[in-house]
Amino acid sequence: MTTNVPAYEVHAGEHGGAKPNFLNVTKGFMSWAATLDHKRIGIMYLIGVTAAFLAGGLFALLVRLHLWEPTGLLFDNATYNQIFTLHGAFMVFIFVIPAIPGSLGNIVLPIMLGAKDVALPRLNLLSFYLWVTGTCFALYAILAGGFDTGWTFYAPYSLYSTQAVISIGLGIFILGFSSIFTGLNFIVTTHKLRAPGMTWFRMPLFVWAIYATSILQVLATPVLGITILLVAFERLYGVGIFDPRLGGDPVLFEHFFWFYSHPAVYIMVLPAFGIISELVTVHSRKPLFGYKLIAFSSIAIAVISFLVWGHHMFTSGQSTYAMFAFSFLTFFVAIPTAIKEFSWVATIWKGSIAMNSPMLYTLAFLIIFAIGGLTGVILGALNVDIHLHDTYFVVAHFHYVMMGSIALAFFAGLHHWWPKIFGVIYNEGLAKLACGIIFVGFNATFIPQFVMGSRGMPRRYATYIEDYQPFHQASTIGAMVLGAGVALMVGYLVHSLLAGKKAMQNHWGGVTLDWLSPTPPPLENFDEAPVVTTEVYDYSTLDLKTTQTPVR
Amino acid sequence: MISTLIQDPKNYVENPAKLPVLSDKWGQLEPLASTFDHVDGLFYFTYVVCIFFFVLITGVLALSVVKYRRKTFDQPAASNVTHNTPLEVIWTIIPLIIVMVMFVWGWKGSNDMLVAPADARQYKAVAKQWNWAFSYPGSKVQSYNELWLEVDKSAAFTLQSTDVLHAFFLPGMRVKRDVVPGRQQTAWFRPTKTGDYHLFCAEYCGQDHSKMYALVHVVTADEYAKKPWDVLKDSTPAESIASGENIYKALCISCHSVNGTPGTGPSWGGAKGLFAKDGDKVIGRAREVVLADGSTQTVTVDEAYIKESIAMPNAKKVAELPYRNNNMSAFADLDERRVNCLIAYMKSLASN
Repeated sequence: MTTNVPAYEVHAGEHGGAKPNFLNVTKGFMSWAATLDHKRIGIMYLIGVTAAFLAGGLFALLVRLHLWEPTGLLFDNATYNQIFTLHGAFMVFIFVIPAIPGSLGNIVLPIMLGAKDVALPRLNLLSFYLWVTGTCFALYAILAGGFDTGWTFYAPYSLYSTQAVISIGLGIFILGFSSIFTGLNFIVTTHKLRAPGMTWFRMPLFVWAIYATSILQVLATPVLGITILLVAFERLYGVGIFDPRLGGDPVLFEHFFWFYSHPAVYIMVLPAFGIISELVTVHSRKPLFGYKLIAFSSIAIAVISFLVWGHHMFTSGQSTYAMFAFSFLTFFVAIPTAIKEFSWVATIWKGSIAMNSPMLYTLAFLIIFAIGGLTGVILGALNVDIHLHDTYFVVAHFHYVMMGSIALAFFAGLHHWWPKIFGVIYNEGLAKLACGIIFVGFNATFIPQFVMGSRGMPRRYATYIEDYQPFHQASTIGAMVLGAGVALMVGYLVHSLLAGKKAMQNHWGGVTLDWLSPTPPPLENFDEAPVVTTEVYDYSTLDLKTTQTPVR
Repeated sequence: MISTLIQDPKNYVENPAKLPVLSDKWGQLEPLASTFDHVDGLFYFTYVVCIFFFVLITGVLALSVVKYRRKTFDQPAASNVTHNTPLEVIWTIIPLIIVMVMFVWGWKGSNDMLVAPADARQYKAVAKQWNWAFSYPGSKVQSYNELWLEVDKSAAFTLQSTDVLHAFFLPGMRVKRDVVPGRQQTAWFRPTKTGDYHLFCAEYCGQDHSKMYALVHVVTADEYAKKPWDVLKDSTPAESIASGENIYKALCISCHSVNGTPGTGPSWGGAKGLFAKDGDKVIGRAREVVLADGSTQTVTVDEAYIKESIAMPNAKKVAELPYRNNNMSAFADLDERRVNCLIAYMKSLASN
């Protein structure tokens, strides 16, 4: 793929240790805290978002445990309301939105483009510290009494609630800026820092996905910031935009909120699509089926996602014409999404499929995302959505996309690039075991939620009627299994850093630039500036000497 | 805190009855009891389509993994095809056609749900944290957390909220509508089977959202003509107290305990309760209250004070913290007989 292959042939024999890489080139706390290196910033993000994920997961387990009994097992209602709000707010704003772009995007995107770093390294560091600051506000809000509005902050309840709504609002406002700056940085990087020969259609699809995400981040996030500011003004000064007692309109808040939060769903999911696009081709050793269609469908999804926010509000009293338009566009967005899924499956078909742990996570993603996407089609139908809206069916659908798809794609990407980033490989047997446990636990958690939701169980209930108890109990057991799987995964990944085997230079046999730079990469990613001469995903250029012996 | 006092939704209705049970049959949806059968039709249609595509995707994946698994270190892909235009057109066009069918079907169905037929009875449902009040055409008496409807007779609702967002959700009828403060929302359906049905609040509304529950009785025309919501047993003091207790459980228990436990509002019983017992006599306790203008005064609890506080809670708010800072919803439309039952119940809580 690149002209500087000889450099890597030399390097392949003596990978790791000997040469300084970005991990060991400088030492000490400040060399990390004040670093401008995109890979180190990415690793700091990785640590941060993983901690947020574990905290959010802990809240989720508390929610599930509480719902073991119809009358609630652990908390009074007010405390339960805080716990589920914390789960949602941490997972959405602090984990999912920054997770993939901040960590894997930061580390991999510049290398894939053949760049030394992102275009604006200082802004990159600022993004990270804004994320830290926003998270600190969220933690402060917990100490200041917590918040119980749900992660959606619907007015007028969020205006009347006596809890720390402004603190968490400010936190999300700051997190929003972190997200905007990251998006801006990646847009500039993609436009300006592509290596010679790296045309737009030679870019790996992960780059396309992050690029589409970045556009959404820059365009949509300001609306959330404005909305949160308005809520704060309303609470502090009684402005009267959303409060019906002052002549405001609560439905306007819903419009503002979903105008951001629907594109935000794609801010979260597009990077996951990007990861899966990379992994299916590398682990099938086959060029992606329908490269351009996948790239354009990312852009199509990004555009259409701005026009479907009203499907979160089908029961709010919209006019029939608004319902018509929003439902139509919602079904329409299903098409580019379906094209992606079909293209991935077609890529795997007739490939040379290595059943290693990143591929297992990828297959788990493809199955779970099929369910998540298809149940979204059920919810797009207007009359059916009226029945299912605000029930556990929506909760389950949402988690199939957010947790089952995005978090699993994040795990898949983490396993895939782990040997690249750290130069070590985790225990493959444990990785496969953990993937299996997570897959089983996840489905056991959320399939019962589909059933009870379609039977009318409303969401955000601290207590419930006894008829739903078997479903809740099955779901709780599933959640415990899922939690155990995640704990195992974190365990062997951390263990590999301390005692993992050395990874091969090109561990899985990829042909994009991220696999052709040294492992782990040096400070500025490449020994010589790369020049791209071949098409993307051309596996005839693969140098097998640099890869591992295959895992059967 | 206070919410632990009541856990059984039965306690939320004025006339405790056996709660309806969801069908124990294995099925995705609970049995339909209204005319909105297009919801179930489209649900099961999309369900089958989804299962078809799911089986297709997982089937191809499973076959690939078995057939094309990498067996040797250097095994290349069996094919390097990256395009197949007919295939790509097919998998774009066919899903597009299917989802357009779903779209039209769903939109037509939702239009049915928007406009009530002209002969529908007009009801009003008022949602507040955390209970439902229902008004009937041609009747001055409201019912709380219980609703009576006539079978095979269209029922149209005007939905109002006095505080935050709620949602009017009858899973058995396939009906849901957000109740938005400051707006008049509407919903309608025609129940087709007699029986008892759940009504949930589906939009998160704060502390006791999960207990904002009502029971819907769909009855025959004969039973409906007897106005079952207008039946209140208050002919003897004991009956009044029992009715008062039911009303308390339906409307007041979220915020007021009866055993002295502090809640969102002051407790009716215990050492700081409303009434004290002096031998056989029940006398009102004195309490400090804040008037609307911010000044404080001491009042002795009596019937007039209680009636005023139910209709206009902010006229004389209890001065003690935190009650001073909490706002109670007004129950100005609670009829006098029910208020009297509540007072009888409050007096029965008096202790020495």
